[in-house]
Amino acid sequence: MDKNTAVYICTGCSIGDALDIEQLKENGTEDFTISYCKDHPFLCGSEGLDLLNKDIEAEGINTIIIAACSQRVNYDVFNFGPDKIVERVNLREQVAWSQPPKEEDTQMLAEDNLRMGCSKAKDTELPEPFQAEEAYSKDILVVGGGVAGMTAALDTAKAGYQAVIVEKEDRLGGFLAKMKKNVTLPYKELSDTGVEELINSVEEDSRIKVFTSSTVEKVSGAPGLFSVDITSNGDAANERVGAVIQATGWVPYDANKLEHLGYGQFKDVITNVEMEEMAAAGKIVRPSDGKEVKNALFIQCAGSRDSDHLPYCSSVCCLVSLKQATYLKEQNPEALSYVLYKDVRTVGQAEDFYRKAQEDGNVFIRGSVSAVGESGGMLYVEADDELLGEKVKIEELDLVVLAVGMVPRSRPEEVPRVKAPEDEKDADEDGMIEVEQDSGFFANSALNLEYRQGPELPTLQYGFPDSHYICFPYETRRTGIYAAGCVRKPMEIARAKDDATGAAMKAIQCTEATAIGMAVHPRAGDMSYPEFNMQRCTQCKRCTEECPFGAINEDEKANPLPNPTRCRRCSICMGSCPERIISFKNYSVSMIGNMLKAIHVPEEDEEKPRVIALVCENDAYPALDMAGIKRMTWSPYIRFIPVRCLGSINLIWVADALSRGIDGLLLMGCRHGDDYQCHFMKGSELANTRLDKVSETLDRLALESDRVQFVEIGITDYDKIPGIIGEFMEKIEEVGPNPYKGW
Amino acid sequence: MGSYDPSFAKEVFENVDFGDEIKMCMQCGVCAASCPLSLQMDHSPRQIFTLIRAGKREEVLGSQAIMLCTSCYTCEVRCPRKIPVIDVMHGLANYALKHDFVPRKDTANFGGKFWDQIYRIGRIDEKDLSRRYFFAEGIIEGIKGLLGFSDIGLRLFLHKRIKPLPERKIKGIISLRKMLDKAEKMRGRGGASV
Amino acid sequence: MSDIQTTNQSILVVGGGMSGITAALEAAEAGYDVVLVEKNPYLGGRVAQLHQYFPKLCPPNCGLEINFKRMRINPKIRFFTMAEVEKISGEEGDYDVGIKISPRYVNEKCTCCGKCTEVCEVELGNPFNFGMDKIKAAYLPHEFAFPMRYVMDPSIAGTEEGKKCHDACEYGAIDLDMSETHFDLKVGAIVWAAGWEPYDASKVEYYGFGEYKNVITNVMLERLASFNGPTEGKILRPSDGKTVKTVAFIQCAGSRDENHLPYCSGICCLASMKQATYIREQYPDCDVSIFFIDIRALDRLEDFYTKVQEDEKITFIKSKIANITEDEETGALMLEGENTNTGEQIRMNFDLVVLATGMVPNKINTAPSPNVSCDEYGFLTYDPEKAGIYGAGCVRRPTDVASSVQDATAAALKAIQSIARR
Repeated sequence: MDKNTAVYICTGCSIGDALDIEQLKENGTEDFTISYCKDHPFLCGSEGLDLLNKDIEAEGINTIIIAACSQRVNYDVFNFGPDKIVERVNLREQVAWSQPPKEEDTQMLAEDNLRMGCSKAKDTELPEPFQAEEAYSKDILVVGGGVAGMTAALDTAKAGYQAVIVEKEDRLGGFLAKMKKNVTLPYKELSDTGVEELINSVEEDSRIKVFTSSTVEKVSGAPGLFSVDITSNGDAANERVGAVIQATGWVPYDANKLEHLGYGQFKDVITNVEMEEMAAAGKIVRPSDGKEVKNALFIQCAGSRDSDHLPYCSSVCCLVSLKQATYLKEQNPEALSYVLYKDVRTVGQAEDFYRKAQEDGNVFIRGSVSAVGESGGMLYVEADDELLGEKVKIEELDLVVLAVGMVPRSRPEEVPRVKAPEDEKDADEDGMIEVEQDSGFFANSALNLEYRQGPELPTLQYGFPDSHYICFPYETRRTGIYAAGCVRKPMEIARAKDDATGAAMKAIQCTEATAIGMAVHPRAGDMSYPEFNMQRCTQCKRCTEECPFGAINEDEKANPLPNPTRCRRCSICMGSCPERIISFKNYSVSMIGNMLKAIHVPEEDEEKPRVIALVCENDAYPALDMAGIKRMTWSPYIRFIPVRCLGSINLIWVADALSRGIDGLLLMGCRHGDDYQCHFMKGSELANTRLDKVSETLDRLALESDRVQFVEIGITDYDKIPGIIGEFMEKIEEVGPNPYKGW
Repeated sequence: MGSYDPSFAKEVFENVDFGDEIKMCMQCGVCAASCPLSLQMDHSPRQIFTLIRAGKREEVLGSQAIMLCTSCYTCEVRCPRKIPVIDVMHGLANYALKHDFVPRKDTANFGGKFWDQIYRIGRIDEKDLSRRYFFAEGIIEGIKGLLGFSDIGLRLFLHKRIKPLPERKIKGIISLRKMLDKAEKMRGRGGASV
Repeated sequence: MSDIQTTNQSILVVGGGMSGITAALEAAEAGYDVVLVEKNPYLGGRVAQLHQYFPKLCPPNCGLEINFKRMRINPKIRFFTMAEVEKISGEEGDYDVGIKISPRYVNEKCTCCGKCTEVCEVELGNPFNFGMDKIKAAYLPHEFAFPMRYVMDPSIAGTEEGKKCHDACEYGAIDLDMSETHFDLKVGAIVWAAGWEPYDASKVEYYGFGEYKNVITNVMLERLASFNGPTEGKILRPSDGKTVKTVAFIQCAGSRDENHLPYCSGICCLASMKQATYIREQYPDCDVSIFFIDIRALDRLEDFYTKVQEDEKITFIKSKIANITEDEETGALMLEGENTNTGEQIRMNFDLVVLATGMVPNKINTAPSPNVSCDEYGFLTYDPEKAGIYGAGCVRRPTDVASSVQDATAAALKAIQSIARR
């Protein structure tokens, strides 16, 4: 578009008191083509807006630079429609409120900020949403036909969308179909599983296509455009879908590993799953002789909460054992169940069922098992009874039930090994190495994605393809593919149903957003997408390797094959590319590069160092605003540039800045490591690793590595900002001025 | 190593007044520390309940704790499972006595003095009661005993459970005595002391 | 405001906490029209008052910031603060809802310059910090407040003080003539995400909350640990502002208790463990004791329990504390209980005691009540026969943030289904 640019400076909120506005107008815009530069005492008020709207109307202004408050506020006020470019320059929180008024340094800061804003506006284009050539599908593939899978499909259908279920067994139902009864809200008594009704509703719904005895052979494509190859009873089928839900459930922990609890040794030691199947089939009896069960003992956490087996809690086993004790009681009112537990974990209203189990006379023993044995055809269990404070023996037991935990079906028996990179220290003799849990090559086969970064969803600890986020439990590392139910964490049926409904919501939403070219979470609403200038690509593979979402495939010659609908618009690929061939309409290497150049670097003898901080726009930038609101102050020599993610920082910016005489660069990003906070997974970590490589650049320029530093800063760490900046400025002072000044 | 014996729990559930209420105990221990006599008890109410669960008949019925409950209701109002702890403790005490478990001498002494005083004035005068109780074994023992309990005495005083002046007879003491006589006849035995 | 246009294809979300915000955004980002109402002057609800989330120990404002950004750019969501639902009539696919908006006395011209606060001399107990500090009667609810706009307390609106604030505002943002307004909405489905209240700890009389200054609740500790709290993030004793050397957490302070809340509040074990890490971070020498009945750390949250147990200065003691007495001179608190693992009597002194109070659901409080089902504790239950109004988050069960968000995402789809059925 032909830009007609105007600058509007608000002098309200102390901005006018802090700055020489006339000088700002002149110096801040001098190098740019600007139609107007006006100021107003109250730009966000009705008069100010009238002025803006009049200019837009009368003068055809289509690119508006608002030099006023932070972009985080008045976003709605300064929105002039989708066909206008609005660039916000922060003169309030990060200038007038955090710097002394009417000082030369404050003025220079404001002028730099305005120049950067003008530069950015010059390089910004209106995004044109991506539209694929093929037609988009809004159908949802559900892998797994258990309670979570069926619920997801049914809720998809009820909302008016089509669903496809692929179930490997010959009928739907999953584990729910193996159960005798369920215990759920309001947790007063046992209830029917409802599995038949659920299966019927799925099968009767014309919007749901069910493939049983089927597996997913391959999922290729991208959100809105997935092509799914299915093998169904030996035949091949293909479905086109827009999004995928993985509800592949769980398997019980292998009780053969629990020999110390008598499993495999005594016939009457069984697992809770075997108990459930026996109960569902009819009568609960002693497997050894088919006789009636009078006394039973449940060993809780059999394998769970145990660092040698499953370190996590399997969440459902307490309720399951209480339920199964109820089966016994219903079968024989004289039956007695002992529950040997670590903690009774009947969370929320489920506490009521604990009470019911107590009322039934079941005996709860807090402690740990030390031996399981047999004497005269009956089992006994020895345990440390914590509350009694002694070792005890529970004898004359007909049955011992091991409450074994849940293992996500995604978790492999053995960690797969892949060929290690050449210089890898941990590689074995054959040059192989274990794959990382968070790689797409770790999990058991379920989706068979045709993704360069592996065929399955990356997993977290213990093989759960869960979200890492508390606030965004559906934040997935494969766009448009959501895990639901017990594959992602151990959960009871009611929760698995809710989870499946939530996953269906996300899947539907993804297809809707994709169809209009919009990004999904966390940059929901973003209409830009990365464009590749392929002529200059050197096939270095950095973008395909570093994309946290596996959005970019490769052809056999290692050319990147972008899938824009898989993209989350973090721009990490842009940061990774040494040839700088990846750019967005409104975010590019040259755009930030030009902003860096717009900063005036004073001569060395002026003794005014210049430092640039590249800040994460989600966390560090709001923290700076907060510090301003709190009227904290810091060095006037630092210039802040918000970036989509620190992972989008291209090292050329560092080289450019330093070769222009900038004295130092500070990268302010999210926490990384195990509890990383980057919503693009690896952004801040990548920025940190890339920085290690910067030292080469610095060496080449004969500069000190102290000039570039990465700091972790959370959104609420604003109290630390003056300190962090102060320390860095001191360091820069120690190192001395950049010798490239004035070149 | 002790063996669990479920028969005792069954015996308690079926035969002891309010005995089946202890099924609901989740072993939080709030009763133990709520009890003003916890330091005097060989087992806290919670421990009694866990002993019943484990089948420790002798330990439970021979316990002094079940004889000591003063019905202050603190444990009962705090019990998160609303177990009528006092009724259970009294039920156990009665059950123990019926089965010839003998309370400790001082407990029996206390029970006797308590009963006597109720019979005499229709209410409890903590000062008079403790004097009679402690000096039953002679003057020296009495002084020792009182000193040993000065801590509790002070706390009772601070909580206004002991008043400085002597308590008077209640109105209608004659009727109360008739009731007590009847009660004694009905049970076949008197209070803990008789 | 009364001219807000909605149809029976719109979704109303009640409650602007994490659950409500999520339900609104998930529906809106799928293309549906959403109206969100929140009774506070800001969105964010209880999570805005939290210092960190367990188990990652990350700041809730990070996720809120993303969500607010999603709201800012999404024209499908309209939201109202200081708004409450007064009446609900109709049925699935066709509800009439009455909304009441309380006067804020500050209009959209507010630039957050802070002049009104500067001149205002009347102080109130700060509701955001549970009254642990004072705030001026013209104030910004907190630094991260969204929308970022001041509010004036009704107590000064008609007074000289109010006029003083009015005159101090250069932007004409203070409107002393504002009054309560009412308007009606037509919507097709309702998501009830009104959240929870902490159980009134003073009802557990033997813990002395309200009487002993150094007995506080878990929600109060979140504010003490936050930099934007009353102590700038330093965990100090309320009685004398001194640092702490011994801190006790009392679990199930009201929960799992038939005299109070018979259910388990689900999150308090993890919340206390998390708060123990706050204390340990600030005070390397401080001893922390956590008194519990059962530790309930489900799924991978068990890892957090394992991690906290590794800290030698954090001790877990299985005991329900039965009594607290205060040393009036020092403010120290003596806790009595029985260690149920050893049978020993506990008599321990602490500088600060934190009560892990539970969650009480905020029920639908309109009269007459719409056709919904609740359990005996007031939690909304899902009944397919009574579709159209869906609970989300802690109004359905006491639960943590991640589960609330899952639940709210599910509720958004249920609401869409109600619309799709029309």
